Amino acid sequence: MTHFVDHNKTTHMELQIKNLSKTYANGVKALNDISLAIPVGMFGLLGPNGAGKSSLMRTIATLQEPDAGSITLGNLDVLKEKDAVRKVLGYLPQEFGVYPKISAEVLLDHLAVLKGYSNGKTRKELVHALLNKTNLWDARKKNLGGYSGGMKQRFGIAQALLSNPKLIIVDEPTAGLDPAERNRFLNLLSELGENTVVILSTHIVEDVKELCTNMAIINKGQVLLEGNPLDSIASLSGKIWTKTIQKAELEEYKKTYQVISERMVAGKPQINVFAEFEPDPSFTGVEGDLEDVYFHQISTSETAIAG
Amino acid sequence: MWFQIFKFELQYRKARPATYIYFAILLLMGFFAMGTDVVQIGGGSGLVKENAPTTIATMMAIVSAFMMMITSAIMGVGVLRDFEHKTESLMFSNPISKFDYLLGRFLGSFVVVVFVFSGLLIGFMLGEFSPWGGGEDKMLPFNAWNYLQPFLYFVIPNLFFSGALFFVTGALSRKMMIVYVQWIILFVVYQVAVILSREVDNRELASLLDPFVFSTINNVTQYWTVSELNSQVIPITDVVLWNRLLWILVGLATLVIGYFSFSFNVVRSAFFKRSIKESKSTTNTAMKIPYVDAQFGVSTYVLQIFRQTKFYFKYVVKSLPFLAIMLFGLTLMTINSFFVGRVFGTYTYPTTYLMLELIQGMTIFFIIILVFYSGELIWRERDVKINLIQDSLPMPDFVNLISKFFGLMLVFVSTLLFLIFSGVLIQTLKGFYKYDLGLYFTTMFTDTFSTLILFSLLAFFIQVMVNNKFLGHALLVLFFISTLILGTLGVEHNLFQFGSAGLGTYSEMNGYGHFFTSFSWFDIYWFAFAVFLFVVSVLFAVRGSEAAMKFRWSIGKLRLTKPILTFGIASFLMFALSGCYIFYNTNVLNSYATSDAQEKLQSEYEKTLKKYELVDHPNLYDVNLKVDIFPENRDYTAEGYYMMNNLKDEPIKKIHVQLNRSDDYHHEYIRFDRGSKIIESYKQFKYYVHELEEPLLPGDSMKMEFKMVYETKGFKESGSNTGVVYNGTFFNNSDFPTIGYNEGFEIGADDTRKEYDLKPKDRVLPRDDERGLGQNFFGGLSHGINLEIILGTAKDQTAVAPGYLQRSWEEGDRKYFHYKMDKEIMPFFNIVSARYASVKDVTTIDLNDSTQQEVNLEIYYHEGHEYNLGSMMKGMKDAFSYFSNNFSPYQFRQMRILEFPRYASFAQSFANTVPFSEDIGFMVKLEEEDDVDVTYFVTAHEMAHQWWGHQLAPANVQGSAVLSETLAQYSALMVMKHEYPEEHMQEFLKEELDRYLRGRARETKREMPLALVENQNYIHYGKGANIMYALQDYIGEDSVNVALRRFINDWSGIEKNGRYPTTIDLLSYLEAVTPNSHQNILNDFFNKIVLFENKVKTASYKPLENDAYEITINLDTKKLEADSIGITTEVALNDLIDIGIYGQGKSGKQELLYLEKHRITDGESSIVLTLDQKPSRVGIDPLYKLIDRNPGDNIVPIEQGSD
Repeated sequence: MTHFVDHNKTTHMELQIKNLSKTYANGVKALNDISLAIPVGMFGLLGPNGAGKSSLMRTIATLQEPDAGSITLGNLDVLKEKDAVRKVLGYLPQEFGVYPKISAEVLLDHLAVLKGYSNGKTRKELVHALLNKTNLWDARKKNLGGYSGGMKQRFGIAQALLSNPKLIIVDEPTAGLDPAERNRFLNLLSELGENTVVILSTHIVEDVKELCTNMAIINKGQVLLEGNPLDSIASLSGKIWTKTIQKAELEEYKKTYQVISERMVAGKPQINVFAEFEPDPSFTGVEGDLEDVYFHQISTSETAIAG
Repeated sequence: MWFQIFKFELQYRKARPATYIYFAILLLMGFFAMGTDVVQIGGGSGLVKENAPTTIATMMAIVSAFMMMITSAIMGVGVLRDFEHKTESLMFSNPISKFDYLLGRFLGSFVVVVFVFSGLLIGFMLGEFSPWGGGEDKMLPFNAWNYLQPFLYFVIPNLFFSGALFFVTGALSRKMMIVYVQWIILFVVYQVAVILSREVDNRELASLLDPFVFSTINNVTQYWTVSELNSQVIPITDVVLWNRLLWILVGLATLVIGYFSFSFNVVRSAFFKRSIKESKSTTNTAMKIPYVDAQFGVSTYVLQIFRQTKFYFKYVVKSLPFLAIMLFGLTLMTINSFFVGRVFGTYTYPTTYLMLELIQGMTIFFIIILVFYSGELIWRERDVKINLIQDSLPMPDFVNLISKFFGLMLVFVSTLLFLIFSGVLIQTLKGFYKYDLGLYFTTMFTDTFSTLILFSLLAFFIQVMVNNKFLGHALLVLFFISTLILGTLGVEHNLFQFGSAGLGTYSEMNGYGHFFTSFSWFDIYWFAFAVFLFVVSVLFAVRGSEAAMKFRWSIGKLRLTKPILTFGIASFLMFALSGCYIFYNTNVLNSYATSDAQEKLQSEYEKTLKKYELVDHPNLYDVNLKVDIFPENRDYTAEGYYMMNNLKDEPIKKIHVQLNRSDDYHHEYIRFDRGSKIIESYKQFKYYVHELEEPLLPGDSMKMEFKMVYETKGFKESGSNTGVVYNGTFFNNSDFPTIGYNEGFEIGADDTRKEYDLKPKDRVLPRDDERGLGQNFFGGLSHGINLEIILGTAKDQTAVAPGYLQRSWEEGDRKYFHYKMDKEIMPFFNIVSARYASVKDVTTIDLNDSTQQEVNLEIYYHEGHEYNLGSMMKGMKDAFSYFSNNFSPYQFRQMRILEFPRYASFAQSFANTVPFSEDIGFMVKLEEEDDVDVTYFVTAHEMAHQWWGHQLAPANVQGSAVLSETLAQYSALMVMKHEYPEEHMQEFLKEELDRYLRGRARETKREMPLALVENQNYIHYGKGANIMYALQDYIGEDSVNVALRRFINDWSGIEKNGRYPTTIDLLSYLEAVTPNSHQNILNDFFNKIVLFENKVKTASYKPLENDAYEITINLDTKKLEADSIGITTEVALNDLIDIGIYGQGKSGKQELLYLEKHRITDGESSIVLTLDQKPSRVGIDPLYKLIDRNPGDNIVPIEQGSD
């Protein structure tokens, strides 16, 4: 008995999130009226730790229930037709474990069966391809308990790609990867992003900038900004100013200006300030990048909430 | 430094709520155990008070053993916690020494454990003052030492060594699982102690080994009387002391080993370093991922379930706790297999059903696996943290749960197969090759496996619903306990006892018989219920990260697809319908009464009808019956008449008829040979008073006709009739109508009587009671009957009743047997019917008057049970020969032994007929030459009842059992004595002595001297055998036999003396043959409770020149007299006591080289003897003729003296 995926229904689909809210039992508002439209392609989800990224992704991945709101994937109601969503879903959670005494090949094959690949021959081909693709072929017979953090992460990616997914959700996938692995992984994702909805959550701004055609910045359960990364950067043009200051002056500057970020350069704090006009001549204008967009959004929302 | 760590540990625990929860649990447990009847932990029974020091000690030992889970939870994590919380790097990089770290942590945790368990101590003490306690009746005045003493000596050392074990294993293995495994190890050691305790000779070793001192306390106090149990704390001497030292030492050794093995490094070096081969990379990262279509449908689900099942199965069977549990279970089974089927120190053949009982003894291990792994499996993904990945896979919701269930079932199936294999292996090793594989499989895969299925489904349900592994475990254990409590609260019906289906006793004669039907229905009922629970589990199983019930409910509704809904409704319907059908069978077709309702009925019977106890009844003298048995339906009808005459001086106008009270019987008619009407009718008791139109005048006779039908309808909740079965029917005349009030229906136990406002009741009438003297011990119905009986049964069965077979014929598919006895017999007869094979023989007895008597001997047995037919035949022949010559001629010309199923384990003597249980005798296997042949002995004992009981019927008063049972014991012992050397008798007498000493410690009313025994088995069998053996040893076998010959000659039948005999009469005959010098022992033996404490203190020998040996024995002797509750006083000693010396005899075996009586007058004495052979062991009263409170120290090895 074989059911083929209905291509009409799944090829051109968009993920629609409407008014999604979720408050945990301990009172934390993880999602606060989030609405997003995510088209085919790579979508970056930026936000600090605890912003609600993982909650949002778990909800999309059918693993968590919102208090209110709806999610649709094409014609599918994600919150109700969980099984149909799972058939086209590839999900890599932020944190996951593996059975330590089982080899990558065996576990991947096992997961493939659970994904519905009951044909032994084609399943084997698929598993082999994925192990190659994620550069685990040489280590395929090794027990997962002996894998390094990066290898484990690649295994996670391999399993997320198992089902020719139409919707890929990867939660902080580059954490723990070395730069070379990170590049390889991002390339792999961008290949897939051509005809799939890929949601990538991260707090690494670079990831988004390099890959995503669309992105959203969320904090404290709210969408602060949604759009194209380049457009967002353009919107800051001429409004970011930088200055190297003394440590003791930092508090003073924070009171006076909207300091969106600070970093140490040669032992002294260098601050970036958002201002429509040059605050004073000691500041130098800089071309903002996505990081400034991010920090600007975060700091604005923090002030708004604090104020 | 260690003190800092110690203090930190205490502070850490102080802040943990668990510490107080544990404390509260123990406090409440102690309080409820002592203060109420709800929780009962090995509490006092009968006359032993609820707060007797020994009871307290036992309860504390039990609780400290069972609550070891608390100890392990606290001690196990002492070090382990650092690894679990990943703080070990922080700890170990600090400048503390390993010693300080371990000592501080250990002592800190230990103090906390002691604190937690002090809750138990306080709870117990408070319980004494609870308003719901037993009151003064059941309580002694408060005495704090009675609580402190066992706490100090039993609980604290238990906590210490078990704590040390948990602490060290936790620290070394870093796995909580391994800590739990220790629990199982200790449990196994305890079980070994329990097994060892079954044999008298091994009890000392068992007492030493038991880690929880439970067996130790039991064995030390095994012979303690009520007054001792109520007044003395367990002395911390001898074996108790050694046990405590041993286990403290184990604890210390564990700590030392732990200290040296513990590595203060974060990373452990692996035991095996695997070399990883470096090979050239062949990875092709550019490979294209093929597009493969997934399939969703039944075949995929089947594959998924198959793969998952295999996966979980492998996980369980490869995990260490499983292997450990199995290993310990098998160890225990192996040890147990040495003792399986032991009766009186002899073995029985290792039949398949015995092996199955052995295997089913492993149930506790199955339960542990079930409780533990249901949690592990439900939490498997979440423990590994792969749950989010797996939960987002497109599998149907049921696949996961069902695979886990199948995985666990596969574990059980393979375990059961393995156990069957072990059973066959044990049989083979014991040289028994009649494997009944069919029985192995039907029992294991119906009864055992269905229980496992039911409880696994329940365990899964609980684990899913509470969604907390440890809470789930706790709830499951609580569930097991609550089912027990439910029973004591009066909710007894199996419809309310989860998983209550059981196959019952297996008999090779009857298989599982009628048990199978009710088993199947109850199994279907509970299975349907469990499946329904499973469906609910599927709906509510957590998938993803949402654990709040609100969301599980809304997700559950989404999962309620049509097939699942249908399945759930179907299983619920099956549950409800089968429940209805069961209820129809147990409560409509059959009557159901709780034990309380049963007692209430009994109490009402007494209150309503006791007034008729003394009314005059006619005497039954003739019984003529036609009994048609239908084994295939388990029905029978009985039709016939009683002839009765009036032996009183007044006319009898009213006949009180007591019909069988069970609802399974109905009576078609009760008719008299004259007009009558029922004037009083007590339907609930089936007691009817008929008034005769013409009274029965003194000396006149009358006929009472009746027809009754016994009908098996459907199946019962419990207590089904095992008397009328497919193959192996055995019932007696108590089924039929009787005349008059039946005292036997009254409630016996005084405690229970009190609940129903009934006065305490004497067990037996006193020896001078006129009424008692006028009745024989078969009851007041009759002085003897003529019996004629026609039995009908299935064509392939043989039916037997007392009497001689007149004729047997077939009619259609039925077979009939006509029996008639040619002389009067006691009013006690039986009916058996089964598919029998038989052996026949004839014995010719040479009588004293040089005439001969021929007796036909027949044994009807189940085909395949031929093992001991020889012993039985020989037993019959030897017994008839001895009894005919020494007592009186045998009154019949035939004897038949008939096997019946092992629903009961006894043999019973009827006129020329002895039904003999499948369980004893038939399956005995004599392995060693000096094994006592139980079959031979029991056969002789039952034969003896043809004299003691049937020829001479005792009066229905105190001491009656001496004239039947004790004399039968004596007769059988004498037959055995002429067959075996005296040393063999010792084995037998030791068991009987043990039976007596243990029995008197458990007496619930009062211990009687032998001559006044009130149906107390331990006295008339156990003490009786020892006393009679001693008596013939002291005054001579011939003298005893002379007395008995005169006794039976003068007292058989009521006619000669106008009353039945008592022990007073027996003693007068014994006195007549006892020399003056021994008259005092008759008094000691029969009229008093006399106990000895005989002991060889030291013994040594030195070789003399002429190949002789001079032997010096130092003795410690004490003679005590006890009252009815066991208070003993020392009395003056002036007794002849055996001194025996063992050595290598001429045959090369150990035997008694010397056995003579020595007069002992002092508490301490020494004896010097010369012997011409080398001694090995020396004993005082080595053959256990006297009643010795400490039989263990009578015989000691002898050593060569120092000079």
